[in-house]
Amino acid sequence: MTGNIRVAGEQKQGLARAGQIYHDRDIRMRQLKAEGRKVLGYLDIYPVLEMLTALDLVPFGILGDIKEPISRADACLPTIVCPFLRSALDLGLKGRYDFLDGLVAAHTCEVGEKWAHIWRIYIDLPYIHYIDTPHTTHQSAREHLAVLLSDFQGTLESFTGAKLTPERLRRAIRMHNEQRALVRGLYDLRKPDPPLIAGTEVVQVLVALISLPVEEGNELLRQVIDEVKQRHDGPKKKPARLLLWGSVVDSTDLIAMIEDLEANVVMDDTFVGSRAYFSDVKLTDDPLEGLAEHYLVDIRNPRTFRETALDEANRKDYWADLESRHGYLKDYAREWNVNGVILQTLRYCDIQGYEVPGLKDYLEHIGLPCTYLEWNYSQAALSPLRTRVQAFLEVIG
Amino acid sequence: MTKVVIVDGEGLLRARVVSNTGAEHRRLANRVMEEALQQAGLPFDQVSYVVATGYGRINVPFADRQITELTCHAKGVASLFPAVRTALDIGGQDAKGLKIKNGVLEDFVMNDKCAAGTGRFIEVLAGTLGLKVDELAAVAAKSTQKLRITTTCTVFAQIEIVSRLSEGVPLEDVVAGVYDAIARRTVNMLKQLGVEPDVVFTGGVARNAGMVKAVRDNLCYDVFVPEDPLITGAMGAALLGKELVLKARAKGQPILRKERRLEEATFFSS
Amino acid sequence: MVEEKKKFINRLKSMYALRANIDKMYARTVEASKAGNPTAWCAVNWWEADPILKAMGVEVVYPENYGAVCASAGVAQDYLERSAAEGFPTYLCGYARNCIGYAARMKELGEIPPEAPLGGMARPVLLLNSSALCDARYKWFQSLGRYLDAPVWTVELPHPGVKESQADGAHEQNIRFMVGELKEFIAFLERLLGKKMDWARLDELASAFIEVNRIWYEINELRKARPCPMHSRDFWTCMTASLYPSGDPKESLKLYRDLLAEVKERVANKIGAVAPEKYRLLFAELPPWHDLKIFDEMAERGWSFVVESWAYHPPKPIDLSHVSDPLERVARHTYRWFTGYFANALQEDEYMGYFAYPYLEWARDYQCDGAMLHPLLSCRTATNHLVLVQDRLLSKLKVPSLVAEGDIVDFKTFDHPGTMRKAEAFEEIMDHYRGLRRGEGLPW
Repeated sequence: MTGNIRVAGEQKQGLARAGQIYHDRDIRMRQLKAEGRKVLGYLDIYPVLEMLTALDLVPFGILGDIKEPISRADACLPTIVCPFLRSALDLGLKGRYDFLDGLVAAHTCEVGEKWAHIWRIYIDLPYIHYIDTPHTTHQSAREHLAVLLSDFQGTLESFTGAKLTPERLRRAIRMHNEQRALVRGLYDLRKPDPPLIAGTEVVQVLVALISLPVEEGNELLRQVIDEVKQRHDGPKKKPARLLLWGSVVDSTDLIAMIEDLEANVVMDDTFVGSRAYFSDVKLTDDPLEGLAEHYLVDIRNPRTFRETALDEANRKDYWADLESRHGYLKDYAREWNVNGVILQTLRYCDIQGYEVPGLKDYLEHIGLPCTYLEWNYSQAALSPLRTRVQAFLEVIG
Repeated sequence: MTKVVIVDGEGLLRARVVSNTGAEHRRLANRVMEEALQQAGLPFDQVSYVVATGYGRINVPFADRQITELTCHAKGVASLFPAVRTALDIGGQDAKGLKIKNGVLEDFVMNDKCAAGTGRFIEVLAGTLGLKVDELAAVAAKSTQKLRITTTCTVFAQIEIVSRLSEGVPLEDVVAGVYDAIARRTVNMLKQLGVEPDVVFTGGVARNAGMVKAVRDNLCYDVFVPEDPLITGAMGAALLGKELVLKARAKGQPILRKERRLEEATFFSS
Repeated sequence: MVEEKKKFINRLKSMYALRANIDKMYARTVEASKAGNPTAWCAVNWWEADPILKAMGVEVVYPENYGAVCASAGVAQDYLERSAAEGFPTYLCGYARNCIGYAARMKELGEIPPEAPLGGMARPVLLLNSSALCDARYKWFQSLGRYLDAPVWTVELPHPGVKESQADGAHEQNIRFMVGELKEFIAFLERLLGKKMDWARLDELASAFIEVNRIWYEINELRKARPCPMHSRDFWTCMTASLYPSGDPKESLKLYRDLLAEVKERVANKIGAVAPEKYRLLFAELPPWHDLKIFDEMAERGWSFVVESWAYHPPKPIDLSHVSDPLERVARHTYRWFTGYFANALQEDEYMGYFAYPYLEWARDYQCDGAMLHPLLSCRTATNHLVLVQDRLLSKLKVPSLVAEGDIVDFKTFDHPGTMRKAEAFEEIMDHYRGLRRGEGLPW
């Protein structure tokens, strides 16, 4: 365990650096604050980080902590909602994120939206902005999001006193696209059998990424990729190569439990996982349009409602509809040579919960075995889940 | 409870021990093992392979392999009922549904989150009614109109049955209602797998005749119950161990075994 | 029926006709379906899509309403179990699971299940959704694809933050977005149904819905009077004609006008819904539908529920007579419903302008002594904000809350005797805070 040990003056590299930041997430943020930079916290993947980076603001991804019992948040968010959001708010109320100069939230889900409003009531910060990301991919929704981003730009400009020119924004988009490409490069290292990097290590790197300015994150990714390619003590070959689908996976615990068994987690479709990184932002004439298109249409996430796939008689074609919503998972399974899927939702997550039976139908349809785990975001709940995962591995043998 | 089953090369039962160790004594698996060895008349080093299963499987330091209770139950059930396609296992703490094909586990569902739908539900509600668990079946048999308990939560169900009794609902109808509530819940869980015959009902709760009737009534299929439903999982574990040994021998491969000592688990063993 | 006992809530006479109106929609939809006319299952959409569907000749039922109907008829439990057997997590919305169980059973039988109350919901040609308030609904309708081949459409309602909604240009941009949305919806409907929108009819309907809500709002304003002329029970009975506007809006209009006249008369004659009116309370959010008699027991103690259920209240009226485009009128009206309290909320640094802040404004304007909060086990949307509401009411206005947990379909969750026991003690708490409020110079 290296957690919570700060060694002054020691700058680790690659995976060790990722592990260090994973365990001590604010380490770099506090340094940057001391250098006079402003840090804005954000929740989930819909706040448009490119716009922060373009104005020299440091984005910091707010997460929960499954090891910290929730207490303060009980007084403003009830127990029957997403335990991740409750935990994240709890940490905010307890001062874990006291280095933030601001908060950017966006609609990912209903409780996330209310989370932002409740945060604003109880934790005042010099800058807070909420982006009302639409729910659908309708043409009017895409246009609307571009306008909302220009409002967001206005508030950021007043906060920083700087002008966000299209050129600065394009430069930031390129940097973030580079990060996306590097993450995909990192994920390529999971394609061999055995994978060159463990699922738990990937989570550490991705948590580190949202705890660093983008350029430092990119440097970290380059170091990690080089290191992993050269090392000889990577994960062992195991019979199961799993894809992990689901809501929030912001710590290594769940994947550690799985990889402790006869399985490697070689691909994911989660937050903090691949979801934010697997498509690039297009550089359009008006950069805001490309950003709107990216966040609303290109990011594959069940929170965005996609139009029903219809047959010739204008009736819903169930299998075509499933294909249009989940088809990318088939590509993941093929490219990463996956032989089983774990569907994981946090208890009380509506967005993912409704998805489960249809997604199971789809995966069975394409011949991929899967199992469903409902997790309440606690370490104690991992041990019964271990039995399910192990039994699943015995089934797919 | 801790159970040990020893089978010979033919798969015949050589020892069967069920010991009421309780959760805090799980790490004393070695003592139950000693009893089984005595029953079988075997020294420990004559045992070719040890498979540990169940929640306590990680606390058995002398096991060669850990296999989940789902796979073991499937094996155990199929050894008794070769045509089984669907099995329901209700134990004290959880309930499992198994889909089995040609003796092999194909799919499963589990309820381990909530006492409703497990043996625990019966125990709690029997306590509320002031009855012993083994008295319930005879009481329920007298029921003419079972109570429909609508709540799915154990705590609320307690409140519900107390208030229905005070409204004058006969005790036997309440007890039949308790059985029905668990049966409905577990049969529903089973339906997620798609129920196909033959159906086998196993686990400690399957010893309870009232529960067997309630499961039959809710399932609309006949239900087979093993003679000794408490040990199906342990039996399956033993048979899986036997298969592993025979398979390795047939291929001339070495049998991968842990260095075993018949001792207590410590909290630091892995 | 039980023998007539002394009534502690003085119910409004004109309410009965409104109640009868709503149950007819199920039969109308089944008939339409048999005749080969288009029918839809529709999420409550706060008049954004309703007039459009109606103008296109689509008969509509509301599965959320049907969840309450099935729960009251005692069949919900079977549908919930079916939903679990289909593999849907049991933590999902009770109304959704009820509907999923119903749809699964309808698919299995190939027809409306015989046990379905009120004649059942006919097989739809469209599942119409709204992004308003609750995410569960568009995911729920999407998941019905396992059982129904009806396409799903989601109509967007913008949900700006309180502060963001007051920024320059934000209001008009949101209206533009909604109008664009509605145009896309109409284009989709025209393709689906193979017919054109009847714009004159839409114009008429849009105005009728707005007028219904204007009168309905006026009625609720009159409840600020002491004693309060109309109890929450009457509100919940009467809201359906506004919220599920599947009937003839002209008929609804007439019924609400009758209601207004009756309430006005009560105010003029100082006739209260509860006499004597010892305590004035607000209620959030959905009531315990199966146990509404608890309000009669509370009325016996002198409790009058004077305002309730923000989500089911009509918008604060705005003058839309100058807006000629019916879509723009619809958009402005629905947007007003959602954001009508935002400007005031911002002035008080309250950032949950829907659901939470309106209760603060109401507690003041309706001079409430207490709040009864009803968290629901399987409805996050109606529960999320209640701890916040409790805190804000107490810390800002010295208005205490009585919390009684329940559920929308699992009725056993609601502890009636326990709640009444708490209610007795709660009176002392309300008295205590009444003293504190007066001490601080608050007017009630």
